[in-house]
Amino acid sequence: MNASFLLFSLLNTSFVLLVSPFFMSLIKKVKAYAQGRKGPRLLQSYFDLRKLMQKEVVYSPNSSWIMRITPYLNLAVLLLATLFVPIVFIPEASGGVGNIIVFLYLLAIERFFTALCGLDAGSTFGGMGSSRLMSLSAVVEPTMIIAFAALAYVLKTVNFHEMFAITAGSTIPESPTLTLISISLFIIIIVETGRLPVDNPATHLELTMINEAMILEQSGKNLALIELAHAVKQTILMAVLINILAPWGLATELTFTGLVVSCLYFLVKASLLAGLIGLFESSLAKMRLFRLPGFYMMAFFFSALTILMEVFT
Amino acid sequence: MNSNQNIKSSLTLADPKLIDDCQLPMNPAIPATQYITNLLNDVSGKQPLIGKGKNNELYIPLGEEEFLKIMPVLSQKGFVLISLFCVQSFEGSSGFTLFYFFRRSGFTEVFAFIRHAKAKTTSIATIFPSACWYEREIRDGFGVEFTDAFDKRRLFLHEAYPEGFHPLLKSFKNGKIQAVENPREAYPFKQVDGEGVYQIPVGPVHAGIIEPGHFRFSVIGEPIFNLEIRLFYKHRGIEKLAEGKTPSACVPIAEAISGDETVANTVAFCTAVEKIAGIEIPARANHLRTILLEMERIYSHMGDLSGMITDIGFPRMTTPFLILRENIFRQNELLTGSRFMKDNIDIGGIKKDISGETLSKLSLYLETFAPKFESAVADVRASSSLIDRFSTTGVLKRDSLLHLILQVPLPERLELLMISGLTTHTESIEPSLRKERSGLQEMSFPALKLRLQKFRTQLSLYENS
Repeated sequence: MNASFLLFSLLNTSFVLLVSPFFMSLIKKVKAYAQGRKGPRLLQSYFDLRKLMQKEVVYSPNSSWIMRITPYLNLAVLLLATLFVPIVFIPEASGGVGNIIVFLYLLAIERFFTALCGLDAGSTFGGMGSSRLMSLSAVVEPTMIIAFAALAYVLKTVNFHEMFAITAGSTIPESPTLTLISISLFIIIIVETGRLPVDNPATHLELTMINEAMILEQSGKNLALIELAHAVKQTILMAVLINILAPWGLATELTFTGLVVSCLYFLVKASLLAGLIGLFESSLAKMRLFRLPGFYMMAFFFSALTILMEVFT
Repeated sequence: MNSNQNIKSSLTLADPKLIDDCQLPMNPAIPATQYITNLLNDVSGKQPLIGKGKNNELYIPLGEEEFLKIMPVLSQKGFVLISLFCVQSFEGSSGFTLFYFFRRSGFTEVFAFIRHAKAKTTSIATIFPSACWYEREIRDGFGVEFTDAFDKRRLFLHEAYPEGFHPLLKSFKNGKIQAVENPREAYPFKQVDGEGVYQIPVGPVHAGIIEPGHFRFSVIGEPIFNLEIRLFYKHRGIEKLAEGKTPSACVPIAEAISGDETVANTVAFCTAVEKIAGIEIPARANHLRTILLEMERIYSHMGDLSGMITDIGFPRMTTPFLILRENIFRQNELLTGSRFMKDNIDIGGIKKDISGETLSKLSLYLETFAPKFESAVADVRASSSLIDRFSTTGVLKRDSLLHLILQVPLPERLELLMISGLTTHTESIEPSLRKERSGLQEMSFPALKLRLQKFRTQLSLYENS
């Protein structure tokens, strides 16, 4: 491990931590405008996190150590995953960092512990959320694998860092098939961050919840960590899509100007993407639970189509 | 599930043909008095003493034996129970007097059967399932036991109320009570057993309306096997608050029962008092009351429509209805000085006249309301993801409609209220609407649009008078 990678680890992680809550607020703002409301301030997510950080944590008497470690574990796992998705600059690949299979498993660990945590407190809604998440995961995981496999097939590598180096080197998307994969990646963002039409992040109806149901029992600092982890997950998934479809400005080597340009470009591109997500969420009603596999199938279809196109051209 | 089946098989069913209007002449050859006299004569061989009320209702006092004989016959003849209530020491009699109100298509009269009861009596819920809630309400309020009832649980009293607490008895005074810390028995929900069945309790307060509501879902995975809804368990002592007061002192109490129904409840109360006292209200007051009732109905509809769409997770589609609702509130304030139109209705008319100028302004506003509403509805109708959620949701089976006398949104509701002088929840449903309907149709757009049109015409007629 060299100094450049160490610097990358620090900068990339802190940048993601810093900007993630902003995109959460931004999506809320766009949705509010679509509904004709003013919506919360753009910095509201930061204030919410600070407020939660200062509140006491209450544990259900039925809960075990799972409930206590999940917030820390989830955030740690996702911060590790941020190393796989370069935003500030692309470092020299080191060890297994950047491997898409490890990346998928990191996301799976986060999902697994969130589901366990939902069961842990013994509340009725938590278990329901966990059961829904797990059954939907059984459908979404193959979809994600096939989407990332298509990506790996098109770019001929299984390492994110190398992929982004390829896409960043060209001014237009490397291959038209990348546009197709982007559709799959967009659907994965929607699914993984629990947004409409998969799950309604703004609902108060416990019976319809998936993600919210599992964290109902979380409070105070732990809730803040879980929400921050959720925001981080959204940012890195957005970064994957951005770096594949619109990698312009991403620095391939470490220079001060490169860093600043990368960060600014990312902020602009991610804000646009967040706006798009907000508009997408405003255009659909939540789907019936058993229709969701059909939605995931769209991602599966575009990924499979990409592979077919690559094989036969 | 088994207990449900048992109840169903023990019900004495009315012949559905008789309940359909088309099978009966709208203007029967014989008057209602004659009809009921003949019916009672056939059943028990006795001539009843039929009293006529001021509001086209017939009072038929019955002995216990005749009562038990006539009930199954009423069901077979297509009568529907629209209300049942209890009065203690009615006209100096000892014990309790039960009033069973029926309607039958073909007659405009309301049939009130009067039955005397002591502390124990029998239930008619197996014949008229819609009597179940009324009987439980009477049991809670007066302590009258319906010995053979299939459902003897409490209705408006939570289990934390002590045994023998009956807040509607004459001897009862409102005051502090000692809540039972650990009720001996919890409210028995229907137990569904089996592998993989689990219970999801939702409540104790319904988040949408902030009123008591406990929803017990029995689910196997995602499919809901059984849903039991427990409502009403909030006793506020309104009845005792009104007892002993002059009718006009009760008007503010009627207004305060529920904010969303300020006008409906007050008009119902005032109409009842006016009917009893034989007060004629001025035509203008009557029209103004109708306008206020309509305003209340429109904003309630807007709230319901946005609520339905919120529940399926489509916030963008809800706001047009919420904006319209808010605008109606503002119009209410211009009309009456109160967003909920409080302090306007009084016995004998209304408290403050609304000027023709103000009504013209309302008319102008409604000109802009209708296109906005229609465009919001058009948006809703054009969204496939929304239709997918609604199209097979909330289908009401004809069977349940008939048994439980469920009501559906009616454009005629207000006319019924005005004509009958009964409160809104006792009307029976119109036969033409007794169809299986889905959630989307239930939203009743055509009815609302039609009503809006009528309302505008009516308004333009009166604004200059």
